[in-house]
Amino acid sequence: MTRERIAILLSVLLGVSLLFFFWKEEEKIDFSTQIKPILNTHCITCHGGVKKNGEFSLLFEEEAFAPTKSGHPAIIPGDPNGSELIRRLTESDPELRMPYQKSPLSEEEIELLKTWIRQGAKWGEHWAYSPVAEPNLPASPSTASLGNNNEPIPLKPIDYYVREKLEELNLQPSEQADISQLIRRAALDITGLPPSQELIQSIQSGKISYDTAVDQLLASPSFGEKWASWWLDLARYADTKGYERDVSRTMWPYRDWVIRAFNSDKPFDEFTIEQLAGDLLHNPTTDQLAATAFHRNTMNNDEGGTNDEEFRVAAVLDRVSTTYEVWQSTTMACVQCHSHPYDPIRHEEFYQSTAFFNNSRDEDTHDEEPKLRFYESEDQERLNEIVNWVSENQDDEEADKFKKFLTYQEPKYAAHIAQDFIKSELIDTKWLGMQADGSCYLRDIDTQEADQLLLNYWSDVDGSTLTIRKDGPEGDILSTIPINKSAKATRTISFPKLSGKHDLYLEMKSPKAKTEQNAIAVVWFAFLPSLPGKEKNGFEKVQNNWENLIAAKTTTVPILIENPSFMSRETHVFERGNWMILGEKVSPEIPKSLNPSEKKWRQDRLGFAEWLVDNQNPLTARTLVNRIWDQLFGRGIVSTLEDMGTQSDPPSHPELLDYLAWRVMNEYDWSIKELIREIVTSETYKQKSVLSPELFAADPQNKWYARGPRIRLSAEQVRDQALAVSGLLSSKMFGKPVMPPQPEGIWQTVYNGESWVEAEGEDRYRRGIYTFLKRTSPYPSMVTFDAGSREVCLSRRIVTNTPLQALVTLNDPVFLEASFHLAKEMMESNPADPKSAISYGYSKLVLSQISKNTSEAMMSLYKQGLSEYQTRPELLEKFFGFKNQIVTPELAAMSLVANAFLNLDEFLTKP
Amino acid sequence: MNQLERLLNEFLQQKLQNQTRRHFLMDCVSKVGGLAMVPLLFGCEPGTIKKSQGLNLSDRDLNPLAPLPPPFAPKAKSIIYLHMAGAPSQLELFDYKPELVKYDGKACPESLLEGRQFAFIRGVPNILGPQAKFSQHGQSGAWVSDYLPHFSSVVDEVAFLKAVHTDQFNHGPAQLFMQTGSPRLGRPSIGSWVTYGLGTENKNLPGFVVLTSGGKTPDAGKSVWGSGFLPSVYQGVQCRSKGDPVLYLQDPEGMTRDMKKSVIQAINSANEESFKDFGDPEILARINQYEMAYRMQIEVPEVMNINDEPEAIQKLYGTKPGEESFANNCLLARKLVEKGVRFVQLYDWGWDTHGTSKKESIDSGLRQKCQEIDRPITALLLDLKQRGLLEETLVVWGGEFGRTPMQENREGKVQGWKGRDHHGDAFTMWMAGGGIKKGASYGITDDFGFAGLDERVSVHDIHATILHLMGFDHEQFTYDFQGRPFRLTDVEGELIHSILA
Repeated sequence: MTRERIAILLSVLLGVSLLFFFWKEEEKIDFSTQIKPILNTHCITCHGGVKKNGEFSLLFEEEAFAPTKSGHPAIIPGDPNGSELIRRLTESDPELRMPYQKSPLSEEEIELLKTWIRQGAKWGEHWAYSPVAEPNLPASPSTASLGNNNEPIPLKPIDYYVREKLEELNLQPSEQADISQLIRRAALDITGLPPSQELIQSIQSGKISYDTAVDQLLASPSFGEKWASWWLDLARYADTKGYERDVSRTMWPYRDWVIRAFNSDKPFDEFTIEQLAGDLLHNPTTDQLAATAFHRNTMNNDEGGTNDEEFRVAAVLDRVSTTYEVWQSTTMACVQCHSHPYDPIRHEEFYQSTAFFNNSRDEDTHDEEPKLRFYESEDQERLNEIVNWVSENQDDEEADKFKKFLTYQEPKYAAHIAQDFIKSELIDTKWLGMQADGSCYLRDIDTQEADQLLLNYWSDVDGSTLTIRKDGPEGDILSTIPINKSAKATRTISFPKLSGKHDLYLEMKSPKAKTEQNAIAVVWFAFLPSLPGKEKNGFEKVQNNWENLIAAKTTTVPILIENPSFMSRETHVFERGNWMILGEKVSPEIPKSLNPSEKKWRQDRLGFAEWLVDNQNPLTARTLVNRIWDQLFGRGIVSTLEDMGTQSDPPSHPELLDYLAWRVMNEYDWSIKELIREIVTSETYKQKSVLSPELFAADPQNKWYARGPRIRLSAEQVRDQALAVSGLLSSKMFGKPVMPPQPEGIWQTVYNGESWVEAEGEDRYRRGIYTFLKRTSPYPSMVTFDAGSREVCLSRRIVTNTPLQALVTLNDPVFLEASFHLAKEMMESNPADPKSAISYGYSKLVLSQISKNTSEAMMSLYKQGLSEYQTRPELLEKFFGFKNQIVTPELAAMSLVANAFLNLDEFLTKP
Repeated sequence: MNQLERLLNEFLQQKLQNQTRRHFLMDCVSKVGGLAMVPLLFGCEPGTIKKSQGLNLSDRDLNPLAPLPPPFAPKAKSIIYLHMAGAPSQLELFDYKPELVKYDGKACPESLLEGRQFAFIRGVPNILGPQAKFSQHGQSGAWVSDYLPHFSSVVDEVAFLKAVHTDQFNHGPAQLFMQTGSPRLGRPSIGSWVTYGLGTENKNLPGFVVLTSGGKTPDAGKSVWGSGFLPSVYQGVQCRSKGDPVLYLQDPEGMTRDMKKSVIQAINSANEESFKDFGDPEILARINQYEMAYRMQIEVPEVMNINDEPEAIQKLYGTKPGEESFANNCLLARKLVEKGVRFVQLYDWGWDTHGTSKKESIDSGLRQKCQEIDRPITALLLDLKQRGLLEETLVVWGGEFGRTPMQENREGKVQGWKGRDHHGDAFTMWMAGGGIKKGASYGITDDFGFAGLDERVSVHDIHATILHLMGFDHEQFTYDFQGRPFRLTDVEGELIHSILA
């Protein structure tokens, strides 16, 4: 082919394409909604993230337009036909045609890509990363809403957005639900419990409005208990450490903090900052410190032979991934090993984020230090006296050291840092054990020129001596410590002031220790100045108080504390995610594709938390709104709650999401109660949840909200509701987790020795949120109803419907007891008239009239039961396993009915 | 016309009126067998309300365990996985190392220790020679020690993997890795993946059953049969030898079977009313689940009862009816797969032979544990074979890692008994049954049995192979969670072609 011919051909081609261009008024192609999904579906597995075949990647903008292996870029903006990308999609040779060995792209897809390139191949931002704009309400919907008396109801902004979409889809909204159904729905959603009789009466009689009822529900202390379940799934809260031994940990003060935070409507920005960085706030309160337990919910491995550093690192990485999932709906776990295959986040950026979290003091020790100590009020006063004393006799800076040590006993060195053991060991890879003539080193110790050593240890042998030398066996003796039999305790020993870092050499002499017997087991070492003002009046009392407080047994909760600078850790990239292979060193930084960090924020957890809740960060408010919406409607506006990245489901109502996100940040000042109030008072929420086959066909998942939400209750609600309607539910709040009845032989964890001790009295009937949660063996009925085991962050529980659930509500003693008590109340309501008693029970449970058919079915069950129990009284002897209960045939038969009631779909489902 | 059909039709007529083209198709093909439930039940198999124009329901909408065909032709229909929790020593059972005898009691060569981390071994330990006598068996000439005299007679049914490796050397993480593909908690177990992908054949029994023996659950707890991010319906159901075989299976005192039937009848008839009111297909699913619960209450105790098995079979397995034993569990495993259960997982606890006590020693405790399993595993293979079930059942045997050729010197001290530490570089597993090459051996280890030299296979490779035999391409079998597709094999896993029939 000659040059001329090519030129002619080219100009013809150009002409044709120009014609095409002018003929058809082209719509502007949107990269994130039209192009990125095609690239993600067909291209990115081989060209992006892990794999960059042909040195071509479509993950980042600069990669997509960079020269490939051939030396030329694959996309030439403005020139689709000159772009290798298009050529390879339309290639006839199967060896060259992309996607390789997969079916070709559709013509429409190729045409879209061509048009996009022709229009300049503009790279775009994924919707979720764009700022939340001030909302413009859509036009007033044409469909009016009518109330129960056919009066028109004013629509709320939420309804505007929803109706706009419904009109587009030609779907009719449903009418408002009956007020009783509505109040049951709202009560279950807001408090997790059925509405009280009082509330039902007030609202049925018209004494109060629905909106007032909602206010009352939001003000109820049960609100916090309900919504804490949601948050604790995200926080991976449990009452045990996880892994092999899975022993108990005291974590419940954090659970209580969450309940209180919800009840006091702590604004979500404060709620966030306190949990992620409460310790870094100025002069943090006990509550703010307790909040940081959020990230101490990571698992802790006690198995013998495990390396604490490995599991410390695992916990830190989990904190990074969890933080991004909880607040940013962003999947970071992939980036741990390689650049994200779908979202524009780079491998090293994961570790830059890790650097924010890598400097907390915790080190996967057996005792889970650091732990916040909750002192009784008298002891708290003593603590304040000590701090004041140091402040008066020295300065505030020194006083702060004492305050911190008394509050959470840091900084200290855990025994697991010991090394170079001779006749010494890490007992069970946890505690430093030293035999007679044993020795070991503590390397690089900075005592901060303290003049006291605090040694936490125990010993089974008398008459031993622990000698600590500077730098090595020949070094100066720093301290000679007599060691005698002792339970685990902290002892204070004077110590010479040392400046800079030193190795400490420890040697043990023990004439009485047997061969291979440890003369000491050390838990930790701490260096702290002695109290000032020794010559002053009152010193002895202060010194005494100090010793008592150090020894005091208190309730504790594991918390985050930042390393002091002399203990700070470097953060490195882990090559391919392997913690043993360190790559380049990194410092704390926010991933570039997310909202930029500002100078005013510190480069630590506090700065990170402030970045999260800044009004310019679009993901936090969108995430919060999406999760709350899901709690109420059973589906998020973005259905993939855990991810709003480019692989997520696109939002069903993007403007609604942004409207609420804007409101919660700028008008509600992050109030969760206000957000919930706005949603539950919308007409969208108040609709009937009746489903016609057409509606089911048009919208099986209720994505467009032409009907109200109808969802099976959560595991906690199933339990709490049964206890509530039978009058058994305890209203006791807070405190240690409880152990309601569970079948024997459930707990069989190895090397554990703990057992399920069935609670007595009202603790048997506490709300589900207080039930002891053991990670490797959660409470069986809860798991059956889809509650998680809380090992990792869980954004949504998948609702299932199984025969094992039926067995729980039919046969679990908790439900049997509830049936029995409900039956008693039913009979008392109408002693002589079982049919009315049945109607009464039914209305009590589901707040509607029993239908004729159901009433007949229940009466026939009652009659059959009655005649059976009348003829076979032996069945009543240990009825439902109760001891010492007098059960009449009538009560037993009514219990069968109540048992059936507790299993009704309507009862187990939010109406 | 049965009850459910009538119900749906009424619903349609009421709501659809003129839309004559839309109707519901019901496809109730068979009756509930032999349970005399006709008045109560709809005489309809669960999950048979087929897709129709009006109500677009799949079998899975009504029953999440409804069987589904695998994407590719499977070689096996069910799996029995025998996990020896604690990790048996390959050096006393299958990996014969005559060289090791020469080094017995001598200091371990530095080359094996350099840069290594062990769970408990510190400093320089001594080599421990094999504590068992080895000989070759069957036509395949497989090496098996005298610890497993019965099993050595069936080696020609089995394919050995002698160079399996794992990077986990603590029980909890290693068991999780072996059972879920990840050493951290939170991923679905193999059994969950398989039941999620295939459902189960027997609607009256759980699809994924777990049986434990040895007095304890595995170190990693119930998470090893957890469903991770898959819906909880796919988690393993622990069937217990004592108490209720399945939790809450037994009716309470004072409630007869007839009464329970009436209770369920009343519930379902009220639920039918709710369906008329709300039209929510989830209610139909719930009606179905209550019927299944009732049938499970009958069928589970039946299948869990081994007393009715003939004496010859009891003898073959060495069962102890009424007790919790590995032998009982092997017999139960056979009964369960025979009944159409998809995945039966056995855990036997007590294989962690560090030498810290007689019970936990290589020379005594391990021999005892082998005696406990030798007859039952042999019986299981023979019994499955004689029933023609071995061809369609994949049997997998193994621990979570292997053990060191060195004698354990826990924290530098000599132990009172002979023991070996945890070791993941090379250990033996075996598979038998559906799709497995009989008498194969794959994997070559060095003279110490310390590391694989050739034909090494990873945990992911084993998973890839198991999924392949069940009819899945492990790279295509994914589930979306936390914004990305997850696989049992993560981003790894190669088929072990050499052991495929």
